[in-house]
Amino acid sequence: MEETVKLDTLQQVELAEGMEIRLRIAGPMLRAVAYGIDLLIRFAVVAVAAICLGIAGIAMGNLVTAGLWMLLWFLMDWFYPVLFEVSRRGATPGKRAMGLRVVQETGSPITWGQAIIRNFMRAVDSAPFFMYGFGMVSCLASKRFQRLGDLAAGTVVIYQRIPAPPRMVAPPPINAIPVPLKLTADEVRALGLFRERAGLWSDGRRAEIADQASALSGATGQLGVARLMAMAHWLQEKRRGA
Amino acid sequence: MTSGDFEARNQDRWLEYEKLVDQLEKGKSGPHAEEMPKRFRELCLDLSLAESRMYGPQVTERLNHLVIRGYEVIYRTRRGSWEKVVSFVAVEFPRIVRKEWRLFWLCSIVFWVPFFVVMFSAGHDMRWVQAILGAEGMSSMEQMYGGKEEQISHLRSEYGSNFAMFCFYIKNNVSIDFSTFAGGILGGLGTLFYLIFNGLFMGAAAGYVNHACNPESFWTFVVGHSSLELIGMIISGMAGMRVGLAILNPGRLTRVQALVLKTKESLPLIYGAALMTTMAAVVEGFWSAQPLPSSVKYSVGGVGWLLLICYFLFAGRRMKDAAR
Repeated sequence: MEETVKLDTLQQVELAEGMEIRLRIAGPMLRAVAYGIDLLIRFAVVAVAAICLGIAGIAMGNLVTAGLWMLLWFLMDWFYPVLFEVSRRGATPGKRAMGLRVVQETGSPITWGQAIIRNFMRAVDSAPFFMYGFGMVSCLASKRFQRLGDLAAGTVVIYQRIPAPPRMVAPPPINAIPVPLKLTADEVRALGLFRERAGLWSDGRRAEIADQASALSGATGQLGVARLMAMAHWLQEKRRGA
Repeated sequence: MTSGDFEARNQDRWLEYEKLVDQLEKGKSGPHAEEMPKRFRELCLDLSLAESRMYGPQVTERLNHLVIRGYEVIYRTRRGSWEKVVSFVAVEFPRIVRKEWRLFWLCSIVFWVPFFVVMFSAGHDMRWVQAILGAEGMSSMEQMYGGKEEQISHLRSEYGSNFAMFCFYIKNNVSIDFSTFAGGILGGLGTLFYLIFNGLFMGAAAGYVNHACNPESFWTFVVGHSSLELIGMIISGMAGMRVGLAILNPGRLTRVQALVLKTKESLPLIYGAALMTTMAAVVEGFWSAQPLPSSVKYSVGGVGWLLLICYFLFAGRRMKDAAR
């Protein structure tokens, strides 16, 4: 179990309630795209503000609006991601577009302090020359794709929603056959997964896999597949009074 | 019980829970809002049941997602209040600066030694100063401080220029504070770089002005905001070094643990530093360039330094017992 957890981007987190939830950690590529979107948005805001303030400058005085513009630039530089990440969504518009959000390592929403730390540290992560060299190295060297700012703040970037594994039940089960033996929990799970994924495979592949369980189905080939499907159906179907 | 039974039996409850979470995520509190913790625990139980009985990914993924959403609603952090801001300024900030006095002296030395060395080197050999400032730096120094004391106030005579300079100082100086803090994560190297660089550059500017321009116009300009700006910069250096030393000397913790803990502890320092630098920008923007007699400016600047020193020495001491 230890080994598989280390290799997976799926992180088990135990809550105070004694529950384990799973967080799917997002990798650097997707985050780079999200950052690109944010950069475009920030650039657009600063550019639009420059035009608007330029016009307003006729009335307010050019130096006043130039000052306001610098103030806006400063805020965009340092506080744009902070404000979005402490908001209810926990993500900048770019991250939201990519289906990402920032959370604490425990899965709960990040605090003001954490948002400030992880985004101020960007100044180092983005070095050298805004190429995110330090951030990338740190991302790849840490277990949870954390750049330096994430490490210091104790935050991770996760997928908003873990996509369910593809599921294609096929061929549709015709009948339900009671399982003749008492199966272990793992075996029950294997049967269920076999049924849910069967539609993704060709007939031949399906039979090949079903043959591994011929001791249970008592048949090989297509008949074995049909019997396993029926047993899986029996295990999962809704039965009153069960 | 099969997974189908399990879903059918609990479906209604899950839908109700989801509706409640939807509503709370939007920030509305309805008639059932106080049921949230109870319902959340129920969902937790459902998820553990589904997991231990291996009901398959379809059910568990759905429950997992519902539990995460509920968890985020319940553990959302609360917003700060004005009382917090006041107690931060009056008590917490000066106390943490006193507590970290070693870092204060460290960062002060790192800044002031290059400053004075370069400034006094100008008297013997101007080449160091010239190399640091460059041609552009020297010409802009002459433009500002080359003539009479009134030169700066003339530069600021256009309408709105004080405000524009105030904004420029915020953008420039507060950004430097934040970068100084961030540089701490490289084991303190980035922080030391910014402190030394600022020391060298400001020292060069002062040295150049002392020997090639009108020193009076320079010193009367900087004396007003110097206390807030320089101490603010040094405190942002303290925040950065707090982070850097956590990596270099994590003690009994792992490096990452020490980093998380110490970075969190350093936050009040960077908040305070940013506040001081912002205040310095106000002074620098609206006061320092006013055409007033030198004696007035020197006395105001001196009082500023005195008040700031008193603030860091004494503010928040009496509250010590009250807070504990």
